[in-house]
Amino acid sequence: MSRRPPRGEYIETDTGNKVARKATLVGTQNIMLGGKTVIQPEVMIRGDLIRTIQASSQSASGAPPNNTAVSIGRYCFLSRGCCLRPPGRLYKGTFTYMPLRMGDHVFVGPGSVIQAASVGSHVHIGTNVVVGEFAIIKDYVRILDGTVVPPNMVIPSLSIVAGQPARLIGEVPEGGHEAFELRDLYKTVGNNPQPAPS
Amino acid sequence: MAALTPYTYIQCPCSDSSTLGRSSGPNSPTGSEGDEDDRTFDPRAPRSNYSLYPLEYLLYCEDCHQIRCPRCVSEEIVTYYCPNCLFEVPSSTIKSEGNRCTRSCFQCPICIGPLAVTSVETKPDPGLLAATDNTAAPHSGPYALTCSYCNWSSTEVGIKFDKPNSIHAQLAKLRNGGTTRLTAKERKERRKDPSYRSQAAATTGSEGGAGPGKEEKLDLETQFANLKSFYQRQLADPNSADTGLASLSDLGFSSPTSLSRIMSIYTGGSLQDKKAKSRVGAMREALESDEGLQIADLDESAAIDKLQTDGHDGTASTAQLLDQIPNLGEAHLHGRSRFLSELRPIPYLLRAKRSKRCPVCRHIISKPEAKIQTTRFRIRLVAGSYIPSLAIRPLSLSSASSTSSSGASVPGALLEPLKPTHFLLTFRNPIFDTIKVTLGAPAKTPGRFPSKVTVLCPEFEIDANTDVWDEALKDSGERERERERERRARRGGFEESTTTSSSNNHNNNNNNNAQNQLEVGKIWERGRNWVSIVVEVVPPSLKLGDSTGDGGGVLREDEDVLEIPMFVRVEWESEGGGDEVAVAARDTSGGSKEAREKRELAYWCVLGLGRIRRS
Ligand SMILES: [Zn+2]
Ligand SMILES: [Zn+2]
Ligand SMILES: [Zn+2]
Ligand SMILES: [Zn+2]
Repeated sequence: MSRRPPRGEYIETDTGNKVARKATLVGTQNIMLGGKTVIQPEVMIRGDLIRTIQASSQSASGAPPNNTAVSIGRYCFLSRGCCLRPPGRLYKGTFTYMPLRMGDHVFVGPGSVIQAASVGSHVHIGTNVVVGEFAIIKDYVRILDGTVVPPNMVIPSLSIVAGQPARLIGEVPEGGHEAFELRDLYKTVGNNPQPAPS
Repeated sequence: MAALTPYTYIQCPCSDSSTLGRSSGPNSPTGSEGDEDDRTFDPRAPRSNYSLYPLEYLLYCEDCHQIRCPRCVSEEIVTYYCPNCLFEVPSSTIKSEGNRCTRSCFQCPICIGPLAVTSVETKPDPGLLAATDNTAAPHSGPYALTCSYCNWSSTEVGIKFDKPNSIHAQLAKLRNGGTTRLTAKERKERRKDPSYRSQAAATTGSEGGAGPGKEEKLDLETQFANLKSFYQRQLADPNSADTGLASLSDLGFSSPTSLSRIMSIYTGGSLQDKKAKSRVGAMREALESDEGLQIADLDESAAIDKLQTDGHDGTASTAQLLDQIPNLGEAHLHGRSRFLSELRPIPYLLRAKRSKRCPVCRHIISKPEAKIQTTRFRIRLVAGSYIPSLAIRPLSLSSASSTSSSGASVPGALLEPLKPTHFLLTFRNPIFDTIKVTLGAPAKTPGRFPSKVTVLCPEFEIDANTDVWDEALKDSGERERERERERRARRGGFEESTTTSSSNNHNNNNNNNAQNQLEVGKIWERGRNWVSIVVEVVPPSLKLGDSTGDGGGVLREDEDVLEIPMFVRVEWESEGGGDEVAVAARDTSGGSKEAREKRELAYWCVLGLGRIRRS
């Protein structure tokens, strides 16, 4: 075991988030973390890519503009070198980014790039996966290593997808739901990591 | 070669035909004990491919007290839905419209990526793939389907749409190239329309075509409809004059009486109808396009020309052709589509939520909620909550030989031939009773290259999973239960990290401790509801020369994988009712615990430990 850096590799927040000092979070005020989320070194989250045009319903109601660019739920795990980037498109003739929403217990593998409109809860995204702009990933979805999910693709719940472009290759079995839980993984990283239960 | 992470596959009893349908009476499992022990299960047998499953894939029938797998359960469809728009499709629509989405959901015929509706006028900028809010977008038609993955556009095959919605209905009326394609209803109406018929007759006549080759070109659906109605007319009229292909009638195929003749052969002649025999009127074959005759177009020069200009790149692959749906395509019986320009957007195949029944007792063992947006299950009897889970971890004990410590302790590392290697098997008990586990493994694994296997502790007890259950009884609120579980997990983790340093087997300093524990008949480590034991294997040398093997000197696929067949017998005593809820009620009301019932479950499983280094 190498000696820990004196200050600790991670910043641990009140809500239990563990954010690596070597992670790049741009526009932190627009990044929402639900708590107990791990952000490993070299992760990049582009909170600066905010929506420039507000949805018509919102502007009509006079509510303060919601500038959340990336929202992440509880017990998410963003592995080393992955990137979360809000998707963007032309809307009524002007280019705008749209928020990227992520549920609870989402694992993002190393080197993956996520530009989805929404990622559900209990989702496992493997290593070096590309999720294209405005893709919608529902709950209990497993995306195998190296998959390229095309823009606008919808992946229904309990799907296992792989390939370039992604195609359905199987269904998550009934007994496989618990494997998406990330509570135990959460404990294994941070400044005081605990060994994984045997 | 891909690194192999250790795995456990469990054999479903359905692979053994003698066990399926056997009553689960208290005596029968013990009765068959003997022969079950005698048989050695070969994980490499071709049949094993179809009976081995990871634990997550297995269900459990509470009534039969038996494992059930995806192969033996019977499935029933709960809901059909489109995987793209996630709308439920009622089964009445399935009957009338088929098993594909009839909204605007299409896959790219080139790469199967999703297609989005885009305006043709504006340039195909991926930022414009505004499938979700066409109403808000200011662009107007015409529209095309565009692939966001390979940039294919339906304009490449000459298909444009007037409206951005109900693409399926619009596409049904369009041929590749943009010409209209009649729907079934329109075709029927057109056939009835006398003005069309005379017009069609006139054109055929004016071209002076005496031969049938100048007949109207029929599409597949029209041809089928014409043929069908023609034959129905023929069958209704057995005396129809044989004006057509007279030579064929000699063979008797085209006579409606041939059916009754064949019937009489198989029924001993008693059914033979003398009257029918006398009526030798035969069916004739279709003679014109109205009757469904379509002359084969054997002139392939157009296709050859196209092949010369477009080359191989312009042809469709087998996979692309398989993805096409036959009725929407342009394909005829002769001359299937062969070029990319003939491919059409593929409407999404529907998916279904399915419930699963036990094949023996017909009880439902898995049932999802019908609503598409939810992932909850009404019933979900997974094997993992009834039979112990098994985790495999390489164990490095040795400082004795410095090379070995780098060997098996690294997950996925190759196993050294002829060198004893140790693996830690951790069994975790999911049920609320103490279980007794008995393991049986052959001393030598089956196959051409047998490994020596020693299970150091083949018999042990695992404590019940009671703790959680007791707590859950006290505060039935799910949130409380969750918090409790979390707290315990944290405490458990703490205990492990402080007290049981032996589990941290990457440390070499507790070697003495470790070697002390490596004793035959002793378990390695024990926790609240889990037990770890050690298995020693001596992998074989994969030398091929000296083996008097069957099938020559080539290492077959995955023959270097060390797989141990293991027979697991789990015994426990449970409350007589068997139903946990009922048990709980009885316990809290202070009822007696006398009616305890002996239970037993036995099954084969396969432990995949790793690949052996090739010598
Ligand atoms: Zn089965
Ligand atoms: Zn659809
Ligand atoms: Zn495509
Ligand atoms: Zn049953």
